[in-house]
Amino acid sequence: MSMKPMITRRTLLGTGAAAATMTLATPGLLRANTFPERNFNVYIPTAEGGGADRNFRAFSSVWKTRLGVEFEPSFYPGASGRVGYEIYMGKAEPDAYNLLFGNIGPEVLNWAMQAPSFDINDYIYFGQVDKDPCCLFVGAESPLQTMDDIIAAAKTRKLNVGTSRMAHPASIGLLALGDKLGLDFNLIPLQGGKGTVAGAVTGEVDFSVLTSGSVIAAGDAVKTLLVFGNNIVGEALDNAPSINDAYDMDLPEMLSTRAFGIHKKAVDDYPDRFEVLTRTFKETHEDPALMEAYIASKGQPEYLVYAGVEECEAEKAAMLELGARYKSLLSGA
Amino acid sequence: MDSSTASILTEVFFETLGYWYIIIPTIFLGLIVGGIPGFSAANTIIILMPLTLALDLQSGLVFMISLYCAARMGAGIPAILVNIPGTAGAAATPLDGYPMAKQGKGQQALAISFVASCIGGLLTTIIALAAMPILARVGFYMHSVEMIVVMLFGISLIASIAAQDMVKGLIAGFLGLMIGSIGTDVVYATPRGTFGFLELYDGVPLIPALVGLFAVSEAFVIIEKRVIVNHDGEPKAPNWHDTFEGVSIALKRWVHIVWTSIIGLVIGVIPGAGASIASFVAYQQSRSFSKTPEKYGTGHPEGLIAPESANNGVTSGTLVPLLVLGIPGGATAAIMLVVMQFHGVSFGPSLFENQPKVGYGMFMAMAVSYVFMFLTILPLSRYMSHVTTIPTIYLAPMIISFTLVGGFVPREYMFDMYLALAFGVLGYIARRTGYHVAAILIGVILGPLLEKYFLWSLKKSDGDIMVLFSSTLGNILWVAFALSIILPMVFSMRRKRKLEVPAE
Repeated sequence: MSMKPMITRRTLLGTGAAAATMTLATPGLLRANTFPERNFNVYIPTAEGGGADRNFRAFSSVWKTRLGVEFEPSFYPGASGRVGYEIYMGKAEPDAYNLLFGNIGPEVLNWAMQAPSFDINDYIYFGQVDKDPCCLFVGAESPLQTMDDIIAAAKTRKLNVGTSRMAHPASIGLLALGDKLGLDFNLIPLQGGKGTVAGAVTGEVDFSVLTSGSVIAAGDAVKTLLVFGNNIVGEALDNAPSINDAYDMDLPEMLSTRAFGIHKKAVDDYPDRFEVLTRTFKETHEDPALMEAYIASKGQPEYLVYAGVEECEAEKAAMLELGARYKSLLSGA
Repeated sequence: MDSSTASILTEVFFETLGYWYIIIPTIFLGLIVGGIPGFSAANTIIILMPLTLALDLQSGLVFMISLYCAARMGAGIPAILVNIPGTAGAAATPLDGYPMAKQGKGQQALAISFVASCIGGLLTTIIALAAMPILARVGFYMHSVEMIVVMLFGISLIASIAAQDMVKGLIAGFLGLMIGSIGTDVVYATPRGTFGFLELYDGVPLIPALVGLFAVSEAFVIIEKRVIVNHDGEPKAPNWHDTFEGVSIALKRWVHIVWTSIIGLVIGVIPGAGASIASFVAYQQSRSFSKTPEKYGTGHPEGLIAPESANNGVTSGTLVPLLVLGIPGGATAAIMLVVMQFHGVSFGPSLFENQPKVGYGMFMAMAVSYVFMFLTILPLSRYMSHVTTIPTIYLAPMIISFTLVGGFVPREYMFDMYLALAFGVLGYIARRTGYHVAAILIGVILGPLLEKYFLWSLKKSDGDIMVLFSSTLGNILWVAFALSIILPMVFSMRRKRKLEVPAE
């Protein structure tokens, strides 16, 4: 009687392959269950002590309670935020433990001015922390206290206007205003929000343009005159009117959108980790503790608005288009 | 000062004294982080931010201020003993501090540094407190044009150094300025001279340049000797005499401490200016108006007092725009701003109306910290100075490994360690061929700042170079700058003539 072999070669190989696959997959599956098992590194392309620092700390102070690990920030200012992005894309491991915390508006505009060394589709923004319109403001002691003052002065001389960096939505708002009114403004990049506020307050420049969250945080030292979007915070921005209402324009909102980003490769390779990140990010937005932390860090409650991957990516595309339109004025090309 | 302010100040002073249990340990922590290249008060506060946020407002404030002051003073210790400036603010300290250590006067040098730091810091804190509204106005007048002249005060030190060998001095200075121009430009963020290295986009990192040029190159040099101290300056056993001698030397030069610490204070209140500018400007001014300029760079006490008083003057100065205008004067002040805002403090014009105890409390914490620092650190100088007696076969490898780690810490790039080594080799070649590494370093540190203010000025004027002479204060500073260059030459010629007369 010939016995039929219990295990054929084909079965053996098939079982072996399945076992190997399971063996290799198991740590991943186990890891997925325990993600995150260590702290996150967060790359921030601006200097410590600024608006991004404040927002990051407020958000991560609540987010970490859901994930059970800390968020460790590293600050990479320089070259208008380019350094931070290049370091993140070039040196950080795409394992979902390395995140980016950037400002979609000004930082994506950079790519329209000078292409980075990496493909800009190799990272995505997956969660918006807050969104605030840019605005035009003067120092509390400036001789220019109204828009009429500014327009009258700009007709007699070219006014110097502080901006965080040349490629910034606020710069575009100002250039659009100049186009509309037939005025020529001279943009001076004062390297960050702190410098831009200081420039207007101390008279280094005639006035400045910046994201309104940072302007509100500057308190009584400044006075806002115009918003490059909708003024949804009223008195906090000195009841300044919208540029479209004040000058009958049709300018899209010039926004500063602080959002977390991640390598596209990490999203593809670790979908389970990405799911944990996006789910807990959204839950954090729904947590009342976030609003408390955000207000404590001088944030405006109205600006704390959730947006996910799709909205963030749409804004990224819009900024690239806007940058291409104003490239010659912002890049000195 | 009205009676209510006086009563608040008195109350805050005694309250701050009650925090001695926070201040004293923090002083030692500050000395350590200040002394380690790459660490600073700013990144330590960031690392310890969870702790700072968990503390109550007053404790957190006292902790941050004490750390800030102590780290500033701590940076001077390795600068004096082993030629390692812990931060860019201490870059001018080894110019005369280290030669003193090599002469076996490390203990005196440390005592001079501590006295100059504490008195300079304490004095400027009191001045800042009393003249806060006036000092806050300095930033309203010191714009980019004026800052160009301030930068030139510091950069002119290259010429002073070059005086010993004009060609070599100027070559070293220009090399430093060229290295300083590496990185993206401040207007359009266009990369220049980066050789494709992403790590250089933000310019040449200061700490690797600093430790490479000073410490690593020095380690290569001292390995050829048995100990750091020269043969004619054999170290002595720890003794109080040398400490008191150092204190006495510093106190006799109290006018110098006052003068240079005020330079630091005034530069500190300008947003964006910092301790590195202040210490070089103070050194340059001190040398320019000294009766013995030729002694600078050889272990002259005044050359040590000037940068140490000035960089501690900056510490109190940076608080003024933060408190009065809500604009942080420097990186550490910016971090403090974040922490204080988490505690619900609103900086700016309304601070002294709404929360006067917070505003005055910060200055009082600074004053009390300097007093405690003087009492706790001064006695240690007699022990610290013995680092210079460690045989160089042990010390040199320690310096190299210590400084390479220091070069790595601020940005955590291996590239920065290689860069520190490269600067070390450059520094060693410079020393062996008679080029002054300080001249290179001044260019590296002040060159980018000069360029920034220069480009801003040109951008503001649409490229008109005459903008440099467009402001009244700027023109006054130009005259002062010209005088500070010409007068020392005149005085020097007079002295030479006087010496020649008896010979005739």
